[in-house]
Formats: sequence, C-alpha cells, structure tokens
Amino acid sequence: MRGTRWNRWAGVGLAAAVLLCAGAASAQESHVGKYSGNAKAGKINYRRYCIGCHGPAGDGNGENAPWIDPKPRDFTAAVFKCRSTPTGTLPTDQDLYDAVTRGFDTTNMPPWMPLTVVDRVNLVAYIKTFSPKWKSDKAGAPVEIPAESPVTIESVLHGRELFQKMECWKCHGPEGHGDGPSAATLTDSKDRPIPPYNFSTGTRFKCGNTNRELYRIFMTGLDGTPMPSFADVIKPADAWDLVHFLRTLQPLVTPEATVWKAWVTTHGNELKPIGPEQAPGVGQ
Amino acid sequence: MHFSTLRSPGTPIGLLVLNRNGIAWGLIAIALLAITSQPAQAIPAFARKYGLPCSACHEAWPKLNNFGQVFKDNGYQLENDRDSPIFQNNAYFPITIRMTPQWHLEHNQRQQVDGPLGTSIEQNITTSGFDLSGIDIWTAGTLYKNISFQVLPSADSTGAFHFESAWVRFDNLFGSSWLNLKFGKHELDTPISEKRFLFLTANGGFFQLYHFTPVGGPGLSSLNQFGGIGDNQLGVELMGHSKNSYTRYAVSVLSSNSGNVGLPTNQSYDLYLNGSQAFEAGRLGLQRVGAFAYVGRSPTYFLTDGGAAIPGTGRGDRSFYRVGAYGIWYLGKFDFSTLYMHGLDNAFLATNTPANTPLPLGSRSPTWNGGFIETHFTVNPQFVLVNRYEAIRVSRQAFTVLPGTTTTVPSDFGDIDAFSVGYRWYPIMFSRAGLAWHQEYSYVRSRKTSLVNNLDQGNSSLLMGFDFDF
Amino acid sequence: MRTKYISMTALTLVAGASLVALAGQPPRPASGSISGKITYTGTPPKMKAIDMSKEPSCVKQHPTPVTTENVVTGKNNSIQYAVIYISSGDQGSTAPTKALKFDQKGCQYIPHVLAMQVGQAFQIINDDPTSHNIHPLAKVNPEWNKSQPPGTPPLNAQYPKAEFIPVKCNVHPWMHGYFIVLNTSHYAVSDDDGEFSIKDLPPGKYTVTAWHEQFGTQSQDVTVAGADAKGTNFVFKAVPY
Repeated sequence: MRGTRWNRWAGVGLAAAVLLCAGAASAQESHVGKYSGNAKAGKINYRRYCIGCHGPAGDGNGENAPWIDPKPRDFTAAVFKCRSTPTGTLPTDQDLYDAVTRGFDTTNMPPWMPLTVVDRVNLVAYIKTFSPKWKSDKAGAPVEIPAESPVTIESVLHGRELFQKMECWKCHGPEGHGDGPSAATLTDSKDRPIPPYNFSTGTRFKCGNTNRELYRIFMTGLDGTPMPSFADVIKPADAWDLVHFLRTLQPLVTPEATVWKAWVTTHGNELKPIGPEQAPGVGQ
Repeated sequence: MHFSTLRSPGTPIGLLVLNRNGIAWGLIAIALLAITSQPAQAIPAFARKYGLPCSACHEAWPKLNNFGQVFKDNGYQLENDRDSPIFQNNAYFPITIRMTPQWHLEHNQRQQVDGPLGTSIEQNITTSGFDLSGIDIWTAGTLYKNISFQVLPSADSTGAFHFESAWVRFDNLFGSSWLNLKFGKHELDTPISEKRFLFLTANGGFFQLYHFTPVGGPGLSSLNQFGGIGDNQLGVELMGHSKNSYTRYAVSVLSSNSGNVGLPTNQSYDLYLNGSQAFEAGRLGLQRVGAFAYVGRSPTYFLTDGGAAIPGTGRGDRSFYRVGAYGIWYLGKFDFSTLYMHGLDNAFLATNTPANTPLPLGSRSPTWNGGFIETHFTVNPQFVLVNRYEAIRVSRQAFTVLPGTTTTVPSDFGDIDAFSVGYRWYPIMFSRAGLAWHQEYSYVRSRKTSLVNNLDQGNSSLLMGFDFDF
Repeated sequence: MRTKYISMTALTLVAGASLVALAGQPPRPASGSISGKITYTGTPPKMKAIDMSKEPSCVKQHPTPVTTENVVTGKNNSIQYAVIYISSGDQGSTAPTKALKFDQKGCQYIPHVLAMQVGQAFQIINDDPTSHNIHPLAKVNPEWNKSQPPGTPPLNAQYPKAEFIPVKCNVHPWMHGYFIVLNTSHYAVSDDDGEFSIKDLPPGKYTVTAWHEQFGTQSQDVTVAGADAKGTNFVFKAVPY
C-alpha cells in the first residue's frame, strides 16, 4: 500500500528528473524580447570583450581584476546587483541584458550598448553557464511597480520621513553624502569594502537612472552588497514618495528638486534634521 | 602627410619644373608615404586606463569594432563617469609608442636608369633587407570630462619628426552626442580609416583612392596641393553620432594646405562631409552604408620675390572634388569593406597651368572612378586574414594628345590596379600592450606610366615583421 | 514555482527510494538518543568587547558591555554553540513542525547559532528599536538581504539546501551569527554547559559530527542500541588566535 504510493511518486520524480535535464539545456540559452541567445556564440564575444576582467572561468579573476575597484562580478556565484526580481532570486535575462547594455556607472564596466542586440543576448546566455543555479533555479517574478504618483511636496516630505524611519541615513548619511555612521564599515558578500551611494555626486545609479529604476533598487535590494530589500516593509505607494525625496538629494535639475527647493526656502526652519532620534525633551 | 614633405613651404610650387622626373618623384613620394606613414592607431594607453583587452575596441588592432568606434566618437570616453583624468593614478600618462621592425622586399618594374652614352633605359629594380618603420609617439585621452585631445608626433624611419595630428575636442556639447567639435590637425572622418587598417607595405600600406591625383599626361604632374582624404588635415570638425554610433556624421572645414603647417599656400578653405547609417542584420552582425565628399580649391601660382614663391600667396585657385559611397558588411567572421569614389581635378590643376595663363589647347578637367573591396576574416581576436583589391580608372584624360606633340594619351593612362593579401597574428591578447606578427604581399600595377617606353609598371612588396605598441 | 516543484519532487524521489527499500522491514522504535559534552583543550581566544556606540539604543540594553560570540566557553572548558548532528546513518527524518525563532535583540543574534533542517520554517524577529538588515551570506542557497525596521512583523524564511550560512547585519557590522541548515532532523546545539542531546533515534549505527565556527568539525561513529548513548563527547583543540 505504502510502497505503491511511493512508487507512484518515484515515477513523478523520474519525470521531474527528465524535466531537470531539459532545464539544463535551456540554461544555455537566453531570451530577451523576440531574441534568443545561445551560449556558444556568446563565448566567442565573452573572450573578446569580457575576459580581461571577469576571467576565463567567469569568477571575476581576470588579469585586470587586481587593479579594479569595485571588483568585477563573479558569475559563478550567480548573485547580481541589478534585478527586477526579489532579493535572493535570480535575475531575468532581460535584467542581465539591461546590465550589460547600461554598464555600471563609476566602475570599470562600460555600457556595451555598441554591441548588436544579438551579441548582447548571446553574452547573457554564456554568463548563465558559469553557475549551476541557472539550471536548478528559475528567475524570480519581477517586482511590480505601480504608476508613479505625482511629485508633490507632501510626497517628498513623506519620503523624507521614510528616509529617517527606514534608517537609510545610517549608511547613506543624513544628507545622502554616503557618510552615515555605518558607511565606513560596509563590506560586500566577499568581505571587500564597499561604499554606499553618495547622492551628492549626482552620478547615475549603478542599476539605472530613471525613477522606476530607483524604485526598483531599494525594493529589490542590490544582492551581494549591504543594500537590503525594503519590499516587505515599504508599501508601493510609499515607495514613490521615497523615490521623490531621494531625487532631492542629488545636485540635478529634476521636478522633485524644484518642488523641494521652493518649499525649503519658506519652510526650511520647520525641518527636523535627519539622524538619530532625539530623546524627548532634548530640544533642537 | 609625407607627400607634402617634398614641397617645403618655401618651394615655388607654381613654378615647379615638371617633367618626367615629376612622375618619378611622385612614385618615390608614394613609396615614402607608405614607408614612413604609420597607418595604425591602436592605443594601449587606453587599454591601460580602462583595463580592457585590445580586442574590446579592435576587431583586430588597429581596426576598430563598433565598441571602439563609439569610444572614439565619445572623445575617448566610456561614459561611466570615470573618464576624467582626475580618476586616474597621478602617475598615469596616456602615451603609446608603435613601431614595426621588419624585413621587406621591394620590386619595382621598368624604372628609369642611366644607359650607355647618356641614354635612359628601363630596368627592374629589386631590393630587400631588414628595416625599420617610422615611429608613432602617441598621446591622447581626456583633459577633463568631455574635453579630449590627441597629439601625435610621428617620425619616419630616419627619425625626422612631424606632427601627424594635434587637436582638442569638445565632446557632447549641450549634453548631446550629436555635437562634438574638434579643433586642430586631425584625421578626416574617412569611410574606412586608413590609419586603422591592416596593411603595412610600401605598395599596400595606403588606399590608392585616398591619395590619387591624376597626372595630365606622360611627364606631367598635377598642381593640386591636396594630398588626399587619407592625409590628416588642419581645421575644425563638427561630428555627431547616435549613442551607439549607428548613425554618424562629420563635417570638416579645412585650410586648403593639405595639413601642412606654416600656412604655405593661401587663405582658402575646403569642406569635407561624411555620413553613415548602420543597421543590424541578425546573426550576421552590423552593416553600415554611407557617403562622403571633399570639395576644395588649390592655387595654381604664387606671388614671387626674385623668382622665388612667397609662401601663403597662392593665387588662381581652381577647384577639385572627391565624392563617394561605401558599405561595410559583416557575415559573421567575414567582413567586407566596399567603397566607390568619383573624382575631378580642374584642368588648370591637372595640366599644371597657372590660372593667369591660357589653358593648353584640348585640355580638359580629368575625371576618374575607383573603388575597392577589402575583406577580413577574423578567425578569432588573435588571428586575422586580410585581402584587398583596388582599382582606379581615369574616365577622362586631361589631354587626348599631348600639347605640341603628336603623342596620343592612351585612355587608360594612369589607371591603377592594386592587390594585397596578408595576415596578422597576435600571440598575446592583453590589456596593456599589443604585439602582432605581420606578413603581407602587395602588388600595384599602373598603366603606361613607365618614363622611357610608356609601358605598364608593376611594383610589389613583401613584408614580414613584428608590429608592436605599448 | 516550477523549479521549486521540481526540486521538491526530486528530493521526494530520494526520500521515497530509501523508504521503498525499507518497506519490507517493520519500523524501528525511535527511542534512542545520543548525548555528550563539547569541551576544549588549550587556550581559546579571548572574545573582544563590542563597541556599539554607533547604536545608542543597543548600548542602553546592555548594562555590561557584550563581547563577540565566535567562541563562547563555560565552566570546565565547555563550549557553547557547537552544532552536533547525524551526518551519516540517518534513516529518514520526519518533517519538522517546530517553528524556530531567530531574534535580534540588543544588536545581537539570539541564538548566536540557529540550527535547522532543510525546508524547516523559521522566523526572524526584530526586538530592537532600530532597523536591522538580515543578510545571510548563502552560497548554495539563494543569497538575500532584507531590511527589518523596528515594529515590523517577523520575517518567515526557510532554506531548500543544506548549508552553513554566516549571517550578518551590514548596518551593525559587529552582528554575526550562523544558520546551520542540515539534511537531518537529528541535531542539537550545545548549551552553556557544553552539553547536548540528540533524541528520537532508532537503533543503528551513526556518524555524529560536531561543528564549531572557529574550531572546525569532528566526527565519531556511535551505535545506538535502544537506550541512550551517553558520553559521546567531543574535545576541540583551542588556539588563542
């Protein structure tokens, strides 16, 4: 009785094993829009463009790696900063494609947008051969991003409250200068020092430059770095408020900065500084 | 380029005595040009700055791929907010040298040599041996974010230096990649760069079409100052490109002195235009089509002082133009560069006639058509096979009959066929320096140009050497 | 989701196959246990005092300064936070039902080492008035990193693969702990007297492994014959660095 039941499950397991093998075959491919990439073609271009930093084994130990900071990505770990998917999940092919295309600002990784779409899609397929996780796991489901709420001073101020409450300032600093109390001690998952983003530089974010991409950065977290995911603790509507506030920390001409500057000139003295909570009774 | 070194600024160009020796000089000039020019610009200084292997920017160095093209179009910037020199180690200086110690053989057919009793006869001349190329000492990079520069002192193999290029460029004006302004001596935005191609020999190391000026007839040279679109020119260039450089344009306004310093000719300006569009063809790769034009004027005589021409006083400007279209086609590892060009020189220039004197009877403005197809088979980033066939056909000779004689100018006089084949092997593919073993054979045949008997001349080169840069 | 289903069925396949092999035998009573004590010889390293001054709310919670916990010793050379588990001979484990808790309190992880079985659910709780980010540095399992501000509900988690996972909080770099994910449900963590007991074991031959984050692993073979296999002791050689 019990045996037959287990036998049936064993049959299902066998079918699953077959499926697993099929999965292994599909891990040699990538799919971005209408394009399909294959790892064999990708390898040729990997050796042409990527090997100097990421190394022949994809472990980030290329000949240039010792001279580069931040270090090149180790593809064998299959942990990626820029994803549309929740923390702890594999990125989609589109995410990898976007990362290759966009490059990583302020690092040695240039935008590879000059390569043809086919070349980039093939590279994505090849990058996925470096870790067995691409065979055993599936990419996460992309985090849903609702339509952006209007940029208002209420939104920016609420975002500022979140910046305080979520303790973003502990790393990014009260003014967003990347100088919070924990900033100096941060290390990545390989125990290498890593600085938090300094908003006052105004440079593009590593994972993009649009408000949507900024939304995604703190909702998905940047895996492999100290930047955690806030998806469980910030509601989607509130997340836009945080986006709007973060924009005011950058020295850029943005709608958020305009709204903020106009408000601050008249209400600046109402602002409580960001930082450690003041004990009750301790005046400002 | 080195064409011009034959005419120092003080040379009375307009009064230059032109005879059979003119052609000989011309041929020697072409040979000199090829030997001393450094057609290649590959810059390990950039590899060192950015930590990318040569193969990232070069299909096979010095030939650029589209990634390298975008890097160049951006003003030597990757645009990762780390381009400004402030991010470099203070000790970093972007300097590159390139040289090619080599063994080569030159075979020149039907050369004029002295015969018995003061006659001239023709004889084939062959020479071979170990030799040096010229040297490029190249510095280029960014002075600041969106301000780039290049200075290239270049020497021939004897060590005589000149400035091959020197310019400053303001990149991404008004935040737009469509507006970049370059000021100084620069390579024209040629359809297929002669500075970055994969041929080095005396006969094959340049595009015939990029330097061709027709001769009026046997023993007659051209007055055209313009050395060719292959020569670096002095002026300003406005160029723009889409972010991935699929769409590109360039407009140069140039002093019409063929890149020579010291204002040697006159005050007029030339115009060069180039535009192209690339598109993706699936797995085949990137295809590009484009068109270009050079329109200029050149003086036909100079003011003189005691019979000597006064530099910068060129007079009697006459016009010339070069127009063409091209395509660069990829079939996976194969790629073809194809180019068609049509050219015209004013009759005064072609017949060597100062514009204040009447044209010889029966003279016309010569025209010609030409084209080439260059093939590369990039086996991998470390091995590339190259080949090129080039043809120039004079469609209208300056004269049908040489003035004062009954000598008919044959319709194919001065036509050129050129063929090159070779390979480059890069034993190391590295992000600090480059080394290539280069082997090439080139053959050029020019119709009816031998000086004594007006017969075809075939010249060939064989070269093998180590091409290295650091 | 599909992958999860596949990997779970694949696991079931393995478990199922071993059960099929056992189907002919009567189930053995799981009444035995293995117990013992973890001690050291030599000189263990001195634990350093933690400077929490950058997090005043945590300083307040500790009347006396706390020290690091990578080597926690007790009386008679006992070692706490060693994980002892059946590394071989386990005849299949029943699904664990007990939900485990991993608390963040006073900017410390309680317990410092949390052992669990593959697939076992556990909760991560923030009892501090400050934000923590929980960043388990998994390599085989997915590496995730989540923020948990004060007053937010517990985080539910489980790991699909066996792995020894260091846990850290990037905001408070001194916070350091371990998730020990095991293929067996028969495991124990040594207490403050260095003692442990692995219960509910059917009679049989087992390999027992003891793991300590600083001193490595040790194994010994133990036969359980109905009663308690007492005195399964492990002695780690401690070095002061």
